Order: sequence, then structure tokens, then C-alpha cells
Amino acid sequence: MQITSAMKMVSAAKLKKAQDAITAMRPYADKLTELLQSLSATLDADSGSKFSEQREVNKVLVVVLTSNRGLCGAFNSNIIKTVNGLVAQKYAGKDVSYLAIGKKANDAFKKTNKVIANESDVFDDLTFENVAQIAQNLMDKFVAGEFDKIEIVYNSFKNAATQIVITEQFLPIVPMESADANVNLDYIFEPSKLEIVEQLIPKSLKTQLYKAIRDSFASEHGARMTAMHKATDNATELRDQLKLTYNKARQAAITNEILEIVGGAEALNN
Amino acid sequence: MYLEIVSPEATLFSSEVDSVVLPGVDGEFQMLQNHAPIISLLQQGTIKIHTHTKSQPGFKELPAEIIPLHTDDKVLTLKIDSGTVEMKDNKVIILVEK
Repeated sequence: MQITSAMKMVSAAKLKKAQDAITAMRPYADKLTELLQSLSATLDADSGSKFSEQREVNKVLVVVLTSNRGLCGAFNSNIIKTVNGLVAQKYAGKDVSYLAIGKKANDAFKKTNKVIANESDVFDDLTFENVAQIAQNLMDKFVAGEFDKIEIVYNSFKNAATQIVITEQFLPIVPMESADANVNLDYIFEPSKLEIVEQLIPKSLKTQLYKAIRDSFASEHGARMTAMHKATDNATELRDQLKLTYNKARQAAITNEILEIVGGAEALNN
Repeated sequence: MYLEIVSPEATLFSSEVDSVVLPGVDGEFQMLQNHAPIISLLQQGTIKIHTHTKSQPGFKELPAEIIPLHTDDKVLTLKIDSGTVEMKDNKVIILVEK
């Protein structure tokens, strides 16, 4: 009980930090999306970016985001269930590989021999540069034709008690809902619009992966906090019941002894 | 003119400034008050922020990445790997990656 409540406290503190990190990245992510939206709205829909190329889907890569440690309720099993469902339904008969981010994902899929890499170390030092590296590898693999489609499955953070499993298409990029094209003032573009977009797309992909990992990280702590809270509650309830049973047994024993003594005394008197 | 520098991990800088010198992909350029709206890409280099006429209430505590020049502490520098800048209505927003 001491352990579970201590783990709850630790998770609560880490959750706060993880949430702050999500808040800190929001201005960057929002601005980037805004720029990209207003730019791509003015470009021809099919500007032929190498990241938006739709190919016939044969080889699929699923990026599975879990935690490194357990004891966080259904956090990891939900992800693994979703991935299995995804593979069985959407990609039945396709060549599916996995990229594990989180030891639990690696454990779950390593028996398929289809795990191309295990990037669990990223949680030890969760910085944008490290995540950008992974994202860059994914982009290279997509462009080289090693995979026709890349999906990410992760827990998105709603609040401390609720995580929602999300399946997100990473590549090819989903065409963006173009915002009002009117927002676009008379900007000077340097270099050309197209070049800027080509530069911004990889950045936005890196940000997308970073956001997913950050979300998953915060969700993990949220899930663990909730799980440990429940565990503490259960342990407390068990302890109370046990105490009651113990006290009852003790009282029964005392009553018995008193009865014996009284009985013995009565017998002597007679 | 208001300058905001944001990285994926934090907002590094947010305050009124005089001007800013940026490492654009086609060469270094400076932006002053009332610059025309622009969107541009930055390459590896140093951002220089000039704050001579501004009192500096907005950034008493600078993050470690932003370093004042030795010769002139009203000029702040920040090294970047790449970035994107947008200027509109006297507000400059720089997205940087290190």
C-alpha cells in the first residue's frame, strides 16, 4: 500500500511535468500548422510532394507507442489490441512491419519478427532532436519505397483518467483541410512558396511524431496514477476487512477464555 | 515591433525589440519596424536581436540558449540549425530548430 501510493505520487508529479511539456510545444505546433495551411491553400492541390505520393498499399509500417514499464492499467494492452485489430482488418494479407517505441510494444511484437527497430530509449531523453531523428528515418524509408504507408498508434491524452487510443496516418501525408485562403495577405516569399512548403512538411511531420510521443508519455503517467490510485483503494479496503476479521477472531478467543475461566470457577464453587 | 521565438520545446523569447538580423537561406537579412509581410526560411546561423531603445521587462530571465554579445549586451544572439520566420502587422514569429 505504501508502494502503490508512493508510485501514485511519483506519477502525479511526472504527469504535471509531461503536461507542461505538451503546453510548451503548442505555440510551435499551432504556428507551423497555420503557416502550412495558409501556404498549401494557395498552392495547387497536387503540388507533387514526395511525401504525399499515394501508392498501392503493400508494405505497411505501424509505429506502436507504448510505455517502457508496466503497472499502468490497460494502457499498453489497449494499444496492442488496437494494433492487432488494425492489422487483422484493414491490412489483412499485407506485409506489415512494426516500429516499437516503448519496451512493452517490443515485447508484444517481437515474436512476429517484424519489428524493424526498437526506439524505446527515446523516453530516457525525450527531446525534439531525438524524436526528429526517428521521424527523419521514417520519411527516408517512405521516400525510398520501403513502405507504402506508415501509421502511428498511440494513446492521446484527454485527462489524467482518460486516454483515447488514436490511429493516425503518418505517411503519405493526409491533405490538409485548407483554411480560409483569404487569410493569406500579400506575403513576400523567400525562397518560393513551393520550396517553403517542401521545407515545412518534414518539420510538421516531426512535430506530429513528437506530439504523439509527448501525448503518449503524459497518458502513461495519467494511466499509472489512476491505476495506482485504484490499487491503493483496493489495498485499503482489503486491509480494513482483514483488520475486522482479525479483531473478530481475537474477541472470539477472549470470550472463549473468559467462558472457560468462569466455567472452571463455577465448578470449583460447586 | 514584437518578436517571438518558439522552439518545439519552449517559447524562448517574447518581447518588444528594435530589429532582428536573420540567417535567411538566400543570405542574411535584417527586419525593422514596419517590414512588409514576409514568410521566409532560415538556415543554420545566428539570430541577432537588437534591443537598444527598449527597456527589457519582458525577458529578465533569458533561457540559456540566448546569449548577449560580449561587446554589447543589448544585442542578443541565438544559434539555430534551421527555422521559419513570419512577419505580419509588426509581429515577428520565428520557429526555430536547434
